[in-house]
Amino acid sequence: MSIRTILSMAAGASALMAVITSTPAFADDARLEELKAQGFARVAIANEPPFTAVAADGKVSGAAPDVAREVFKRLGVADIVASISEYGAMIPGLQAGRHDVITAGLFMKPERCAAVAYSEPVLCDAEAFALKKGNPLKLKSYKDIADNPDARIGAPGGGTEEKLALEAGVPRDRVIVVPDGQSGLKMLQDGRIDAYSLPVLSINDLVAKANDPEIEVVAPVEGAPVYCDGAAFRKGDEALRDAFDVELAKLKESGEFAKIIEPYGFSAKAAMSTSRDKLCAAK
Amino acid sequence: MEWDWNFVWQIMPTLIDGLKITILATVFGAALAAVIGLIFAILRMTAPKPIAKATGFVVEFIRGTPLLVQLYFIFYVLPDIGIRLPALLAGVIGLGLHYGTYAAEVYRAGIENVPRGQWEAAKATNLTGQQTWIHVILPQAIPPMIPALANYLIAMFKETPLLSAITVLELMNQAKSVANSSYRYIEPMTLVGVFFLVMSLISVVFLRWLEERYARVEER
Repeated sequence: MSIRTILSMAAGASALMAVITSTPAFADDARLEELKAQGFARVAIANEPPFTAVAADGKVSGAAPDVAREVFKRLGVADIVASISEYGAMIPGLQAGRHDVITAGLFMKPERCAAVAYSEPVLCDAEAFALKKGNPLKLKSYKDIADNPDARIGAPGGGTEEKLALEAGVPRDRVIVVPDGQSGLKMLQDGRIDAYSLPVLSINDLVAKANDPEIEVVAPVEGAPVYCDGAAFRKGDEALRDAFDVELAKLKESGEFAKIIEPYGFSAKAAMSTSRDKLCAAK
Repeated sequence: MEWDWNFVWQIMPTLIDGLKITILATVFGAALAAVIGLIFAILRMTAPKPIAKATGFVVEFIRGTPLLVQLYFIFYVLPDIGIRLPALLAGVIGLGLHYGTYAAEVYRAGIENVPRGQWEAAKATNLTGQQTWIHVILPQAIPPMIPALANYLIAMFKETPLLSAITVLELMNQAKSVANSSYRYIEPMTLVGVFFLVMSLISVVFLRWLEERYARVEER
């Protein structure tokens, strides 16, 4: 990333063009022109503050769409139009052309990197559990849940947490797919699940809103590294992705990136100290 | 995106696990609906007027609200008053209650369609109440009910994917989780459709056989 930044600063626009056009998907520059002409980009979001949020009046906010909105504005695409989707349906929806980009806190994992073209990292967070006060089953990691035959974990369908739980060896029938944050909280309160897993900032947001003294948080979950998301583009839209990356890098450089994401609780430093290549290679 | 047979064989065991739950929910849901329907029908036809009226109201209430709303109510609201049912049981109760009200109307229509003269004749030949029901009324009332009940059974079977909304790991939910981890919808969703179609066709054949058998008994 630093090489590209230096190049773009030193040699100006021509060098920039060289970087963009050096990618194989040259013909797809047309995608950006299409988006400019139509005046908006269609983004897939969840409704999981502070990553993505939809207010009662339909206004889309959250750190991921806010960053995307700013980057697209700089690329000459006036606005973003968001549609809410389950995490698991986002990548198939992208491939089916239902949206142009995923901006939802969909963390980079190698198998996802193989399915989509990620931008450079945007939002980083560790994983957390919400559970009953006093942590009666002493759950501190996904492995703890796998090892305790009575422990059930709730997680969004197709989300990173569901995958982590399954990878840790929790059997399918103890990984309960929860449709949204509120149901997750309710199922935890009702004792249908023993832990509800989301990224740290999402769990904190949810638990703060719930204001229930019977719920406590374990954060970060042991043995789960910090993950970062990126804007996820369709394979074949690498040219659009590269254009996005260039503006994203400038945003990071100028400090405006931090101004957008830090009020939501995210660390700009975390996103800037890692890279797509590193995260996609990580196991 | 191309059809991948290897992927099909790979996900088959998972989907069959889901199919088992779907069948389980249908069988228990149908059994519950048959019993609840009978209770509702008898209450509505023979109980004292206030109880019959109240039963009628309950039946209309359940018929007039969506099954999905009822499932959410059973799953998410009942725990607030201390009733916490496991997901599958909540689903079976939802299906049984919902389709029980439809079955009740079928029972009622079937019994009311037996001509009044049959009741009078049974009385005139001095049959007891039990004999009247078992030997006169039900043998005439049940055969015409079978096609209607069978339709509801198949309709209920096809509504079981709604249980995925309350976290039951039935066929649809398994297919969704397969799609979630593979980003492929074409095989799982096609297979779900095929499974439902095959099961529906088998049920149709079986129910038609049942219908004919009963009709023949009637002729003898």
